[in-house]
Amino acid sequence: MVRAFKPADLTEALRLRKETACVPLAGGTDLMVKYRNWTGLPPAFPGDVLFLSHLKELQTLERRGETLRIGAGVPLADIAAWPETPAVLREAVRGIAAPAIRNVATLAGNVCNASPAGDGICALYALDARLELTSVDGTREVSILAFITGPGRTVLRRDELVTAVLVPRRAANIQVFRKVGTRKANALAKLSFAAVGEVKEGIVDAMALSFGAVGPTVVRSTETEKRMAGKTLAEVTALAPSIVEDYAALIVPIDDQRSTAAYRKTVALNLLKSFLEGLKEKVKGI
Amino acid sequence: MNKSDTLNETGISAPVRRVDAMEKLTGKARYISDYPFEGLLHARLLRSDRPRAKILGIEVPDLPAGYSYVDARDIPAGGRNGIRMITDDWPVFARDEVRFVGETLGLVVGPDREKVLEILSGIRVTYEELEPAFTIEEGLACKGGPIVGDDNLYGTYHLTKGDPEAAFRRAARVVEGTYRTGFQEHLYLEPQGMVGTWEDGKITLYASAQCPFYIRKSVAHTLGIPEPAVRVRQVTTGGAFGGKEHFPDVIATVLSVAVNKIRRPIRLVFERAEDIRFTCKRHPSRVTIRTALDEAGAIIGMDIDTVINAGGYTSSSLIVLQRAILHGIGVYNIPNVHIRGRAVATNTFPSDAFRGFGAPQGLFAIELHMSHLARELGMDPGSFKQKYFIKTGDTTITNTAMKDEIRLNEMFRKVDAMSGYRRKVKAYDDDPLKGIGIAFVNHGCGFTGNGEQEIIKAVAEMERLSDGRAALYVSTVEMGQGLQTVLRKIAARELDCGVDNIVYDNPDTDRVPDSGPTVASRSTMVVGYLVQQCARELKRRWGEGPGTRVRKQYRHPEGLTWDQDTLQGDAYPSYGWGVNVVEVAFDPVTYEVKTTGIWTVYDVGVPMDTRIVTGQAAGGGIQALGYAAMEVCEVVDGRFRQHTLTDYTIPTAMDFPSVACEFVENPYAYGPFGAKGAGELVFDAAAPAYADAVGHLIGRKIHEIPVTPEKIMEVLQDE
Repeated sequence: MVRAFKPADLTEALRLRKETACVPLAGGTDLMVKYRNWTGLPPAFPGDVLFLSHLKELQTLERRGETLRIGAGVPLADIAAWPETPAVLREAVRGIAAPAIRNVATLAGNVCNASPAGDGICALYALDARLELTSVDGTREVSILAFITGPGRTVLRRDELVTAVLVPRRAANIQVFRKVGTRKANALAKLSFAAVGEVKEGIVDAMALSFGAVGPTVVRSTETEKRMAGKTLAEVTALAPSIVEDYAALIVPIDDQRSTAAYRKTVALNLLKSFLEGLKEKVKGI
Repeated sequence: MNKSDTLNETGISAPVRRVDAMEKLTGKARYISDYPFEGLLHARLLRSDRPRAKILGIEVPDLPAGYSYVDARDIPAGGRNGIRMITDDWPVFARDEVRFVGETLGLVVGPDREKVLEILSGIRVTYEELEPAFTIEEGLACKGGPIVGDDNLYGTYHLTKGDPEAAFRRAARVVEGTYRTGFQEHLYLEPQGMVGTWEDGKITLYASAQCPFYIRKSVAHTLGIPEPAVRVRQVTTGGAFGGKEHFPDVIATVLSVAVNKIRRPIRLVFERAEDIRFTCKRHPSRVTIRTALDEAGAIIGMDIDTVINAGGYTSSSLIVLQRAILHGIGVYNIPNVHIRGRAVATNTFPSDAFRGFGAPQGLFAIELHMSHLARELGMDPGSFKQKYFIKTGDTTITNTAMKDEIRLNEMFRKVDAMSGYRRKVKAYDDDPLKGIGIAFVNHGCGFTGNGEQEIIKAVAEMERLSDGRAALYVSTVEMGQGLQTVLRKIAARELDCGVDNIVYDNPDTDRVPDSGPTVASRSTMVVGYLVQQCARELKRRWGEGPGTRVRKQYRHPEGLTWDQDTLQGDAYPSYGWGVNVVEVAFDPVTYEVKTTGIWTVYDVGVPMDTRIVTGQAAGGGIQALGYAAMEVCEVVDGRFRQHTLTDYTIPTAMDFPSVACEFVENPYAYGPFGAKGAGELVFDAAAPAYADAVGHLIGRKIHEIPVTPEKIMEVLQDE
């Protein structure tokens, strides 16, 4: 028999998490589908369920110095509406599912689901986001890159809960998110592309690029990004073919029920090329 | 009847509030899953998970008290293990061999769902696997040996007009193209579902369905009992689109065998993924058209080879095939034509009825081919097609005179004024990011040939009730299309009363005559006409007091002939006519196509309610654009690969713009107030218009739908 826990506060939630092999559930929009059952029967959860969305400690959106702290229980709709949310993340969140889902689903849940097609995840990679993981023994921070180890796999320990998504606040006058979905709403990504960068006086100060749904995890290459840093926009444009080549080696998508490997790869590289070639225009517009 | 009389505020076309709007919008409407039954049992099908195999054994564990496993051994003596659709080759329970993944093997029934699932997972089926055939090509090649007969064909038809051989002999040039369409899932909002009970000494089925009398016939056949010994009650049905024409027979027969054995109410309702995986889809098609042109580039003949993928059993595939080839040359007068049509057996789930019933496949091929011919000859598709429009009195593909009054030229003018087609089709030739397409269609209303007369023999009745209202007794159903409103409107107008004064309950085979199935764009035109005749007579006899009952039976219009064996004569009593223009824009980075305009003009005789028919035009148009652009449905190892709402992507309101719709009035003498059918016509044109538009956009020929961004990329890289 599956037990369901509704803890009074975060302390109790952490204790339950440690003492039982429970499944943490915030919005439930992934889990209720994953464990769906014959209508009329409870969902087929593999173990006890720990409800989290009601916990006040997880409901906050706050700016702490140079970090944005997004509570693990905050629904996507609130994140999209928060003025502090970086444009790239706002755009990604707005494109997730449909309004009803966005009213209950959480960003932390999107991260824990660890789907390579997760829209929020792709933007968080480009933003160098970190996860705040809490257990009764304390709190640690892990970068999203280290947190997700494969499709559906994370380094979250069995006694830990994700308590917040932490996004560094930094200047970024380039913020692009593009989802190529199976349709225009309520869709999963065939692939996605995020870019976060800062261009100062025609020189690229920093550039982060990420690609979703084109490999087992989101693709990001800090090495190639470094090749762009310190270059003028004209130099980056000239480098475009070689940058595209770098990513061509890293992007190894698969055929599945939503698209083909060939399409994913071609379009991911097309988006990159079009982004690099359009950089000048983008900066002019800022 | 002039335009001001019908489309104005007081005419029959003037919209009224749908009688079912409030109960559906407020959630009060009860669907099959909402009905409580005393002592209800739950049921789940045991299905084959092999596409083609011999069944070596089915091992059922010992069952706890109160639980049952039902299979072919429970069919009573005198009954038959066959589902009587058109023929009865599809067994209720698989015989010694399975022909597709999802074929019914047995049914587990019991009070607790958890336990039912546990029993189901404990059943061991052993198979000897055989080599399956999934595609049209594999079916035609008899891969793994024929599934049926010695050629794997359920049937072959030929239609010949004029002397096509001579035409090809003198042709200056022959243009050939092969056109393909895929599976399409109905995706009605409410999945398949039924409750079977033993009531008042007879099998009673509460069904989400289109055709209560089809169900009654199938169940009687399987149980070997007279049809009146079965009662079928339609409950509010949340969409059907043809998916609840024959498939409910598959559920009803299994359920009836179980109810006959257990004598308790049993509910069998599909989950969504179960419904997508294990119900019929639209037939995939492959149509090859060869056209003979003379020196001047005029069409002098056509040879058309049509194949549909029928799947593991016949279901209604031969009738679908007939409609596909009867619509094979579309709205054109082509002089010398030969069409061969074949329905091929494969190891996929049997394909069956879906809005349009074969016509969309036939029309897709001819419309796209005509567009391709136009491009080859340096003309725009609209102007080229117009040259060949059939006219009243021209010879049809079935060698009789076209009797409809045809308004295609007027419709083309109208759609051009709405869309700017003629201007844009030239302007976009040089625009790499824009395209526009056009398709003209007709759709035969009612059953093929003399089917209404020979097979259906529809009857409708009306009665004056004691409270001053009038009751309507017909077997055609409301399934979302608006029939409850339309039939009441027709009766109310004749009786000079409000729509609320007409009682039209969901059909119950014990209470209504058989006015036929709710299919084939026949309900308004054929049944509506009977309702109008009933209402007229009832009005005359109103003074006879409460209880006065009138009855009308279908009579085929004078002067129509048909030979079902040779498919010669008047293929349909009348046709609806339509034109669609679709405009598209391109994202060259992602190969995504955005539809920027959809304009439609229809001749449905006289629309019985402009809001309802406009709603049909919008729904049918968007459903067809989903079919054309988005709804990928692949078969991998005999299984539908896209089987969730996430992966089987029907359009949302965000995916296409609104559908503009106008009508050309053209009253039909044998329809109520001049009405003809509309429900399927509105599906037929959007897919070829879209494919034409995408072809125009990318400057390449499109031959296949769905035209996904992946396919467009392939076509562009194929150079």
